[in-house]
Amino acid sequence: MVRGFHHKLEQQAAPAFFVRGPSSFVRLVFFTALSIVLIATDSKLQYLSGVRKNLVALLQPLQAVANMPSQIYRNSDEYFTAHHNLLSENRQLKELLLKQSVGLQHLEALSLENGHLRSLLNANKTLAESSILGEIVQIGRDPFTKKVIVNRGASDQVVAGAAVVDAAGVIGQVTRTHGASSEVTLITDTSLAIPVQVARNGLRAIAFGQGRDQVLDLPFLPANVDIRSGDILITSGIDGVYPAGLRVATVSQVKVSADSPFAHIVCVPSGGVENHRQVLLVSIPHTESLATEEWIAPVKDATSQSKKPTKILSAGKNNPHQAALHAPE
Amino acid sequence: MHQSNLKSLILSLMIAFIATLIPWSAFALNLRPDFLLLVIIFWMLRAPNLCNIGVAWGVGLLMDVATGGIFGQYALAYTIAAFFASIYQRRLVLFNNAQQLLYVFALLVISQISLLILKIFTGSALLGWYYFVPSFSGVLLWHIAVKLGLKTGGRPSGT
Repeated sequence: MVRGFHHKLEQQAAPAFFVRGPSSFVRLVFFTALSIVLIATDSKLQYLSGVRKNLVALLQPLQAVANMPSQIYRNSDEYFTAHHNLLSENRQLKELLLKQSVGLQHLEALSLENGHLRSLLNANKTLAESSILGEIVQIGRDPFTKKVIVNRGASDQVVAGAAVVDAAGVIGQVTRTHGASSEVTLITDTSLAIPVQVARNGLRAIAFGQGRDQVLDLPFLPANVDIRSGDILITSGIDGVYPAGLRVATVSQVKVSADSPFAHIVCVPSGGVENHRQVLLVSIPHTESLATEEWIAPVKDATSQSKKPTKILSAGKNNPHQAALHAPE
Repeated sequence: MHQSNLKSLILSLMIAFIATLIPWSAFALNLRPDFLLLVIIFWMLRAPNLCNIGVAWGVGLLMDVATGGIFGQYALAYTIAAFFASIYQRRLVLFNNAQQLLYVFALLVISQISLLILKIFTGSALLGWYYFVPSFSGVLLWHIAVKLGLKTGGRPSGT
């Protein structure tokens, strides 16, 4: 069949003295094979991450040029904002500040008390989180995956695995870091799962993305599970990736059907997954050791020889309580 | 002559690439035509000695880097579309503008279908009909460019 196809193409090819280089059919076969090898290598093995990093660095100036129109638009928009707008905004902000500072005092008192009680109980201190403010520079161009690119990368100490949050809740996770930018997979992506807890009763579950905007799914919960629509889901923190207590989603509907032992629970993410520019990249300390091992070890031969990679990895994967217990020794 | 063609090829590819990199918002993202593939098709019809399947493959690879997907997906899709562009390239002088438009549309759809098949193999969810909107907007863009005086090698219709 392939021969026949080829033969058909040959009929309309030019006489040999016009032909330059190999025929287009040969080229098709060659480049198709090359693409398939690349796809297989990239999806199954990790050889190409260095190549990708270099190519992304090469694209950086083009990205800067592409971002220029919207940057200029925003800057001029800010410049021409009327005076009274600023004044009224200022007034509102002052009011808000006052309200929030009262709340903050309350919080300070509470956190003091909490710290005191924890030290009394000889409990582990909650791990301090380090956070970096980043800005979304581009939305993923691939309609099949939910990804964004943020303008902070390995040079800003962003590590793969860091949680990405905005003011209203978790929006995703850093899945790949480049030199000056990093790739964030949003919680609505099908490949991302996030351990959550129902704020009302502490029930643990795992939320999965659906590949659609503004929808999360809680599969594999029994039909009689105690979740109602309107329940707030927060991160449970037991995975050691996301800090505990961040808002993730609100349950929008719970459907129970007679033919399935599981409840069908649909949630709406509370963070502005699709509509914010500024985000916070939050990493908790021990994920760092896990991530650095994975991404930096191949470069530094000496360090990886002295430390056994498997040992470090297993230490990183331990739960936060154990990690904290081992730290002082 | 060839030198200037090569320069404009690189320049147009660069402009198309920057246009792809512009941060598009959700609605425009669904509408956005595949600028790079349009430019590649144009050059494959206009100057097949400069822009061949290899160039399409390389550009597709860059697109893979920009989208952050698995290496080789766009490269393969562009290669297949470029192959179909090349096999009918010599017949193109007989096409009028409407036929050429149909031909370009077919090429855009071919690249999208090959990408769709690859994505299904790697386990992505199926998208709705709006997945094919970029082909329509792409062919519209082509039509506008021809109306504005871009010489694509087709005859004006009716002659």
